[in-house]
Amino acid sequence: MGCDELPDDLKILWKETGRDRPVFSPDQLRQQTEQMRAKRRKSDMIGAAVMVIFVASYTIIFFFTPNNALTMAGSILSVLVCSAWLIDILAKRRRVAPDPAEIDSARFYRAELERARDNHRTLVWRLALLAPPFILWDIGFARIFAKAAWFIEPLMWFDCVFLLAVFAVFGPLKHLKSMRKYQDRIAALDSASRSNVQ
Amino acid sequence: MDRTETQDEFYRKVAEEYGAALDRMAYGYEAEPDLRRDLSQEIHLALWRSFGKFNGRCSLRTWVYRVAHNVATSHVIRQAKSKRNAPVFQSLEEAEAQAGGESVEISADRTQALARLFALIQLLDPLDRQVILAYLEDLDAESIAEITGLSAANVWSKIHRIKSVLVRRFHRGGRDGL
Repeated sequence: MGCDELPDDLKILWKETGRDRPVFSPDQLRQQTEQMRAKRRKSDMIGAAVMVIFVASYTIIFFFTPNNALTMAGSILSVLVCSAWLIDILAKRRRVAPDPAEIDSARFYRAELERARDNHRTLVWRLALLAPPFILWDIGFARIFAKAAWFIEPLMWFDCVFLLAVFAVFGPLKHLKSMRKYQDRIAALDSASRSNVQ
Repeated sequence: MDRTETQDEFYRKVAEEYGAALDRMAYGYEAEPDLRRDLSQEIHLALWRSFGKFNGRCSLRTWVYRVAHNVATSHVIRQAKSKRNAPVFQSLEEAEAQAGGESVEISADRTQALARLFALIQLLDPLDRQVILAYLEDLDAESIAEITGLSAANVWSKIHRIKSVLVRRFHRGGRDGL
């Protein structure tokens, strides 16, 4: 028995699986398409709503609470950063993902890796930019209300450390690591395709 | 026939003709049964939607495999993002080394042989996975090249490596793996 014949045995074994054909009717698929669209709309709406709440809150704080220079700067920057995030969420709906029917698998794989890398890259900057406005506002708030209650100042400092750790250090680092993982994968793909051409 | 009817007709034909192959493909991309069911559904959905713009510039088979593999690739990347300790994709040789163990006798333990084959495939980089899955489905190098966009020579070299690994990992009764 020659070893060259062996893959045929495996092919027979392989074809013994997959006897359960999942059956979907076109109407079921139409219904699922609608459900998927509704789900995507809902998740976009939740993200947008969170940003609208932040924008509204800092606008109200700016106009209707006692302020100093730090809280004013923090409020303005928070509104700007959250608005930019909100616009990005709304624009994301119009961005076109690679069409699985239009391009071959090698290019599709690369496009998907690029998309994943770019998502992480965006999050690195978004999170890093979110920390300074919130921290500025916290420090300003602590200065205004330090004498009102003993716990306000330590609470605000704790919040600053927390924001710094989550938004400026751990969050961006995590996304930076993932971004590099995808970038390395893209580089490996490129180098493999270059060596195949040569 | 209007466009919707043609789309439905194409889908019915493909589900009948390629349903089993698409199911096997889902096995090659996803080990978890629930996620596999989702992937299978996603593939069928993408295929049905794609038939709205099928233009006949390539064969129906190429179109079906291309759409299905691309959807499965997106699934694999999405899962790698969401799973904390998701395995890093490996080359064929690395996956073979990680699979470890003795060569499996196909006829003696078909379930184990199949489990070993899936475990090996599921460690691979999506592009290598596409080639091995298409090869197991009896597609020739030219068809695989058309689906993947790789050169036919590149596909040939990948198939050659795949065959060598399979021969080392599996054997018939009465002889050891080479």
